[in-house]
Amino acid sequence: MRPAAVAAVAAGTLAAAALLVLAAGASPADAFVALLRGAVGSSAALGETLARSTGLVLTALGAVVAFRAGVLNIGLEGQFLAGAAAAAAAGPLFPDAPLAARAAVLLAAPLAGALQAAPAAWLAERRQVPAVLSTILLNLVAAAGVTWLVRGPLRDPSGDYPQSRALADAALLPPLAGGSRATAAILLALLLAAAGAFLLARTPLGLALRAVGEAPRAARAAGLPDVGLRVGAFLSSGALAGLAGGLEVLAVTGRLYDPFTAGVGYTGITAALLGGMSTIGGAASALLFAALGAGSSALQRDAGVPSSLASIVPALAVLALLLARGGRRER
Amino acid sequence: MSDPGAALELNGIRKAFGPVTALDGARLTIRPGELHALLGENGAGKSTLVAIAAGLLRADAGEVRRDGRLLPAADARAARRAGIALLPQHDLLVEAATVADNLALLDPAAPLIESAGARRARVLRLEGRLGLELGPPGARVGELPVGVRQRIAVAAVLQSDPGVLVLDEPTAVLSPQETSALFRSLRARVATGRAVLLITHRLAEVFEGANRLTLLSRGRTLLEAEVSSTTPEAVGALLLGGAEVSSRSRALRPEPSDGERLPALAVEDLLPAGATGPPAFFSVPAGTALTLLAVDGNGADLLGSAIAGVRPARGRIRLAGRPVPPGDPRAFRAAGGAFIPADRRAEGLVPGLSLAENLFLRRPPGRFVIDRAALAAAADERLRRFGVRARGPGAEAGELSGGNQQKLLLARELEPLPRLLVAVHPTRGLDLASSSDVRARLLDAARAGAGVLVATADPEEALELGAPIRVVYRGALSPPLAATTTLAELGLRMAGLEP
Repeated sequence: MRPAAVAAVAAGTLAAAALLVLAAGASPADAFVALLRGAVGSSAALGETLARSTGLVLTALGAVVAFRAGVLNIGLEGQFLAGAAAAAAAGPLFPDAPLAARAAVLLAAPLAGALQAAPAAWLAERRQVPAVLSTILLNLVAAAGVTWLVRGPLRDPSGDYPQSRALADAALLPPLAGGSRATAAILLALLLAAAGAFLLARTPLGLALRAVGEAPRAARAAGLPDVGLRVGAFLSSGALAGLAGGLEVLAVTGRLYDPFTAGVGYTGITAALLGGMSTIGGAASALLFAALGAGSSALQRDAGVPSSLASIVPALAVLALLLARGGRRER
Repeated sequence: MSDPGAALELNGIRKAFGPVTALDGARLTIRPGELHALLGENGAGKSTLVAIAAGLLRADAGEVRRDGRLLPAADARAARRAGIALLPQHDLLVEAATVADNLALLDPAAPLIESAGARRARVLRLEGRLGLELGPPGARVGELPVGVRQRIAVAAVLQSDPGVLVLDEPTAVLSPQETSALFRSLRARVATGRAVLLITHRLAEVFEGANRLTLLSRGRTLLEAEVSSTTPEAVGALLLGGAEVSSRSRALRPEPSDGERLPALAVEDLLPAGATGPPAFFSVPAGTALTLLAVDGNGADLLGSAIAGVRPARGRIRLAGRPVPPGDPRAFRAAGGAFIPADRRAEGLVPGLSLAENLFLRRPPGRFVIDRAALAAAADERLRRFGVRARGPGAEAGELSGGNQQKLLLARELEPLPRLLVAVHPTRGLDLASSSDVRARLLDAARAGAGVLVATADPEEALELGAPIRVVYRGALSPPLAATTTLAELGLRMAGLEP
């Protein structure tokens, strides 16, 4: 996309957001300052933004890996939940060994995410079931699974609420700096995003994935292992979302409860779309969305604007982008 | 100019799509009681012309008259009211719906709400009136054979009893028996004074069934004649571009190397999915070429893509003696096969990747990390050697012109030299210079020792390649013909007539 188009998208988004703030009876300038302060104005605010961004960076990366290979994985939400559930099940098995608990979470969560994606991959390749459909349905299965787990097998017997047993405090990832909620999880997420970018752009495997995603018939005719590449991308995408769920437990919540996510898997897809389906763009959009989320409470407190307004902005940005890119219909 | 007795008359029709002129002053006159054939090579503008007649496209210039009255331009409803009905090449039936529902859907007189019994009754009524067997009213259209589907589509457009019925290549998918049944019903129709316009590639059908014919070439009307006043040979020669061709210089001929060798390709009992006709048996010795020549829809291209593994098939394929399971492009490649598909943009190149990435899709230089400098250098050298004109190896493949895209594909598929190269319509859409360059490279590959199988619809190309030719008609292969065969004979064989 040309810089002028990017500027137009940003300006359109800001203008639409400003109109909404005006409609809510507040000053757009005040709202913008409050949002900025709440997102990056202090080390606590910055930490909140980074903590919120971990899941988004990883699910956006998962979306990029899948979509670039031509796999429309809308199931990142369910794969995130599967990873979180696996983390909540595996972590408490090692109450006295924090490192073993962390290792168990970091192994179990991606595996669970990949397993959650596996039926959809099988259906897509063997039964020609569109992945969009099967993954959306599997999201419902995963959400119901979490509901059942926290009331059944994983329920913490000592608590009043339907939630899983907590991981030992010592197993949880420590803050990077005092008073901040950011942990090493965000570093891991950003590292994986960088690795993903390198893999896609610079390795033979990445080239094959891009070829299969863009022209599946040409890639197949050229002798690339198209089915293996698509399945691999699908499972990796699920593993990334599962890891995101596991890190949410390991770094933020320490346990599983219901409902566990407010749509991080879907927002990750939105971030990947806004980032033009590039790894770096997706990560940048994820950070932007996390900042909006972190700043939204300040928006309500300081500017008197409903905090839900901040959650409209990502959607506005994507709509503006699609509008700018869509152009006119041919003929 | 205007013919007062014409049921449908198109005059001076021009139509351009962007830079491409599809029609350049074409005319077409159909009289009542006439079964009229519209002929022409691929891209001559036949489908565009009938789409304009049916009000589906707006002509840039020219007029459409029905019974002498001018029709409004690009008004499909007006055309339908005037009794012009078009049956497109690919029928527009709803596969998931039943025969009865499809016919109800396409009946302009159907009431808004109609009982299932009434819809079934319509099927039986139509069968009785038209003498066409339409299959069980409750059967889903998607599950019926193509011949039955075709009859349902015909019956659907005949419900309104149009004065001018236009059929765009209705016999391309029909068996000979189904075709003669269709022609019987069309002849019965014109006997009642209505008119039928039939687009076809098959001269045999024209000379058996039609009264008059119009021949389009490159958007102009080349011939309007009574069928009885001309011959298949004369029309065939016009269709192929006339006598100017035979004087054109013969291309280089690959010399088959002596000695017994395993054939580069041996095909036994091969029947591609979607193909009609008998299973194919043939072979291509190493160091030689073979041309499969056929009008589109007769299965030459299907054989090519089945051998390359991109179309499912049953039968046996061997490359240099090594069995290759059908439907597996990787096995085909592993056995030393290379493939130039008919649709180079969808099945050949990856348009959004760079030229360098397209050239080295399978094995880019560098083991775990692509060596970019080596990739660019190797690509640059290869592009230069194959004469691909582009702004550099980093340009996107989708930017290239058709000729350069095809050269890019050749640069990928011919290095390293394959055991067998399968090329389907290798010069379709290319200009003369690119075409002869592509043909020369195909022959070079054969001369260097590869087996080369070319599937083409262009008889001139078959002759210029200079390799043995086998004409495919409805899936059946002719005996090998020498490249000295006349165009007229090729044309007859392509149209299903024995010379």
